[in-house]
Amino acid sequence: MYKSTGYIKNILSLSILIMFLIICLFVAVGIGAVDIHRKEIMSIIFLGENTDNRVILMDIRLPRVMISAVLGAGLSAVGGVMQGVFKNPLVDSYTLGMSSGAALGAVLSIVSGIGIFGYATTGVFAFLGAVATLFFVYFLSKTKNRVSINSLLLSGVAVSYFLSSIISFMMMLNRNKIEQIVFWTMGSLSSATWQKLIFSSSFILPGILVLCFFSRELNIMSLGEESAHYIGVDVEKLKYILLVICSLIVGAVVSTGGTIGFLGLVAPHIVRIIWGSDNRKLIPYSAIMGGAILMLSDALGRVLIQPAEIPVGVMTSIMGGPFFIFLLKKQKTKGA
Amino acid sequence: MKMDYKIRAEELGFNYGNKEVLKDINFKIKAGSFISIIGPNGSGKSTFLKILSRYLKPQKGIVVLGEENLKELSKKEISRRLSVVPQNILLEFDFRVKDIVLMGRHPYINRLKGETAEDIKIAERAMKYTNTLEFSHRLYNELSGGEKQRVILAQALAQEPGILLLDEPISHLDLQHQVEILDLIKKMTIEEGLTAVAVLHDLNMASAYSDYIIMLKDGKVCYEGEPEKVLNSTNIAYVFNTDVTISKNPVTGKTYLYPISTVPKKIRNVKVHLICGGGSGLELIQELVGNGFGVSTGVLNIGDSDWAISRQYELDIAEETPFLSITQKAYEKNLELAIRAHCIILLPIYFSKANIKNLELLMENSLKDKTIYILDDSNFQRRDFTGGEAQSIYNKIKTQPNVVLLEEDELKIALIKADEKNV
Repeated sequence: MYKSTGYIKNILSLSILIMFLIICLFVAVGIGAVDIHRKEIMSIIFLGENTDNRVILMDIRLPRVMISAVLGAGLSAVGGVMQGVFKNPLVDSYTLGMSSGAALGAVLSIVSGIGIFGYATTGVFAFLGAVATLFFVYFLSKTKNRVSINSLLLSGVAVSYFLSSIISFMMMLNRNKIEQIVFWTMGSLSSATWQKLIFSSSFILPGILVLCFFSRELNIMSLGEESAHYIGVDVEKLKYILLVICSLIVGAVVSTGGTIGFLGLVAPHIVRIIWGSDNRKLIPYSAIMGGAILMLSDALGRVLIQPAEIPVGVMTSIMGGPFFIFLLKKQKTKGA
Repeated sequence: MKMDYKIRAEELGFNYGNKEVLKDINFKIKAGSFISIIGPNGSGKSTFLKILSRYLKPQKGIVVLGEENLKELSKKEISRRLSVVPQNILLEFDFRVKDIVLMGRHPYINRLKGETAEDIKIAERAMKYTNTLEFSHRLYNELSGGEKQRVILAQALAQEPGILLLDEPISHLDLQHQVEILDLIKKMTIEEGLTAVAVLHDLNMASAYSDYIIMLKDGKVCYEGEPEKVLNSTNIAYVFNTDVTISKNPVTGKTYLYPISTVPKKIRNVKVHLICGGGSGLELIQELVGNGFGVSTGVLNIGDSDWAISRQYELDIAEETPFLSITQKAYEKNLELAIRAHCIILLPIYFSKANIKNLELLMENSLKDKTIYILDDSNFQRRDFTGGEAQSIYNKIKTQPNVVLLEEDELKIALIKADEKNV
């Protein structure tokens, strides 16, 4: 009885979201220093025609737009999952220090000039930074085989500040590389390539799938860890798996696009307002929604102050900040 | 709801760090019964429940469900046999009632297949049972406290447990909803053979619903047994450090406890001696003690209800062995107490040859300067089982100048006035 109606609704919502994503993709691919008409886009992609804008579209725009979709999806799915794990709507990958850890890893690789993994060096370092930070924070807040959510959040925030200040310190010491680092900490997709797309997607997309896989348990977690235990969920194991997957995704995102703020908060919130808190919908829908939002933000960043470009991390923060305050305010009035 | 489980624990011990919370706990619980665990705060009740549900692992001892050692079962296996209803559940992210109840099916759901029609049917049955089906599409946070608790109960039932553990399931609810929830659970123990183990704070609720009560103090089982055996003023005084009077609920016949406050509203200087017995003094004794008067009683038979409450308040009593006529010794003790008091109150008691001396006392010369209050003068004849002897003494007493006939509310005013004069 529930399933049939819920099923149809689900498919309908999903198709609407995917339509929205495709429209955003066409818009994002079309605008920029050179506007490309949608007919031309269609003929280049589907018919393989060799028009003037083919190089711009295929080598520059398309990988960049698709990377932004993938990164946006990753960040938003992670945001949704972390909010579920911590039962707190104001949490995302920054709260546990994962993003800062990834950023520090990347900055370290830039500063030291190590190139052992070739073009992927920064990526590998970012990933290691995210995972190492997560484990450190997890270790800090662990007492007697249990990890309390409050201590996890507190140590996460503390470590996050600490790492950010180390990044600032390194920027100070390496003035010659400051532009590279700043560009990177502000989040930018300007160096997108197909290679990077494949690299990041191969971590992020399977990661999102795994997160979706655990959405039922995540729902049960919202009853509280103790109650979840009574329903047969291995809470400690679940938290562990989810947080490792999340740090993997965050590592891949940060190594590709730098630190991109607020998206992990905003996208799940929009989804929650429209479709509710059921994580079986929340995680996939947030991923699509986040992908679409990041594509649009990046496209806007490219065209707003031409010929200069606004880094995408700055764009999301400029748009996400006020939205976040609005949410906070709304939550307060709801609670009163 | 199909499986019957008995529970057995042997030599359970649990410490938080160096602090010993539970020690040497042994018990057996019959399948299909309603068991209450009672005890003061910090006695280890919740820890005990958490060990039964394997949320905490005991350092010593074992718990056996049916024939299986709890330790050897996986988390999912445990949650198919046993479910837990907590005090209340707060949700940051809101869910629909049906989704919350369906979560109870988790231990049966295959990750790849999702919930089956069977799961949905079982969840619906649980909702029907708890009267939550009608609002199955509403959001949890929009519900009232009682409705929420029924939803959580439905979720626990969807687990199809043989054992239901409840940790203060009603402490956030008003009376109507408390009864509603406990009725439901009781019904399931009778109809479905479910074993319910509940931590309850309300001793009268525990008395009304339990088949068996386990009383904990300082991490040990102090008393256990049927409610009427376990719940008596001596046990309660020991475990809860609180005085209670015990009576029976007039409708159900279940043991009912009234706590006694030992804090007088005001300390007064007047001492009152009561001639009472057979429960005639119950209310007045509590009232006078509660209002700070000094009270003594006599002559009372040992075991009489007035005697029992006098003992509880540690009053001076002139006492006599049951079924004996008042002896000279008891009479003199009674007189001594009466002389020490500022006034004497005669309550409407029955007189026989055995206690007629209680009446004769009032004619003593040494009491001539004390006011004697007689409560409820009417129907003395009916209370006289001495063949008129008591009646004639009573008539004589009434002519004494120091005797005042009055009603209970007049008495209070008179005593308070006497107290003010005395100061």
